[in-house]
Amino acid sequence: MKSALVYQTLVLAALALVPGIGEALYFHDKISWRSSIPASEMVSVEQARAWGDSAIWVDARPDEDFAHNHVPGAFSLNEDRWNALLPQFLAAWSPSKKVVVYCSSLNCNASREVARRLRDEAQLKNVFVLEGGWEEWLKKK
Amino acid sequence: MRAQIFVFALSIVICAKAQAELKWEQTTIELRPTPADKQAIGHFKYQNMGDKSVHFKSVRTSCGCTAAQTQKDEVPPGDKGEITATFNIGDRTGTQVKTVTVETDDPASTTTVLTLKAVIPQQLAITPTFVFWQQGEAPNRKTIGVSAAKDFPVKHLKVASSSPDFEAKVSETGNGQFKISVQPKDTKQPFAATLTIQPEGSPKTFYATARVTTAPAINSR
Repeated sequence: MKSALVYQTLVLAALALVPGIGEALYFHDKISWRSSIPASEMVSVEQARAWGDSAIWVDARPDEDFAHNHVPGAFSLNEDRWNALLPQFLAAWSPSKKVVVYCSSLNCNASREVARRLRDEAQLKNVFVLEGGWEEWLKKK
Repeated sequence: MRAQIFVFALSIVICAKAQAELKWEQTTIELRPTPADKQAIGHFKYQNMGDKSVHFKSVRTSCGCTAAQTQKDEVPPGDKGEITATFNIGDRTGTQVKTVTVETDDPASTTTVLTLKAVIPQQLAITPTFVFWQQGEAPNRKTIGVSAAKDFPVKHLKVASSSPDFEAKVSETGNGQFKISVQPKDTKQPFAATLTIQPEGSPKTFYATARVTTAPAINSR
């Protein structure tokens, strides 16, 4: 009687886990509120650093985060003050440069949105999103 | 057989208990702010349907542009309340989806994701918002297309350049479409200008940038 009860409980618990495990496996790298972006438009910290002076860094985080700390030489460009900040960035941009946009971490979406607007609205080429964002840059400092 | 009935009944009881706690009126809110609005505010209302208090453990937002506030940390049985999510629109455009993740000690649902969807009207679509010339390149005219949204008819458009080094002229092409023709006086030296685009009767101002660059252009237009 007791073993049957335990068995039944375990079966029910296992059944309840199936959809959760399935979702975790299938959507493990997808976060629903993030914009989708092709892998070719992402760049790792190592790759971006290897570009050296041919890269121009864009910080898509809020003003306070940028003021606190940022990648040396990076330009602040966030959607809170897009119209005010964009001209400063464009004044430093040149056609031969690759643009690396980052936000706070792997889970943030701001860098994707800023990169999208630079591509679609300003029609810049060679715009990339930094994988892992500022957190990853700090880890590999 | 008795064991099966017992387990089945137990699961029903657990489920019934699980559903009888913090109940949200809606977990997704869609807002349509006007062009003049600076913020979009969603009110996520809830009621504790259980027989014990529920405590909020944490409330996190998916973006620094969104703030969420609980009215209280503890929700006694039967009590109602709301979490207010305030999204600062800034210079964002289009459909914006922001989330608020709420963690409670409610055993039925420890984590609830509230979704705030804001459809920000785009009065003007400007393409591209940036035109440039390589230093030494022929100073030919380049065109910026402007398209007014159906809901915001624009009859006239005014464009002003921040620098006399660039000339900007507007022409209407019909059906709320405009063309801004931009031309530098010369391309001997690098310089830049902000083009201020003002639709008649609109409180909102739009911008584009024109520039003569120092480096060789790979995408001149």
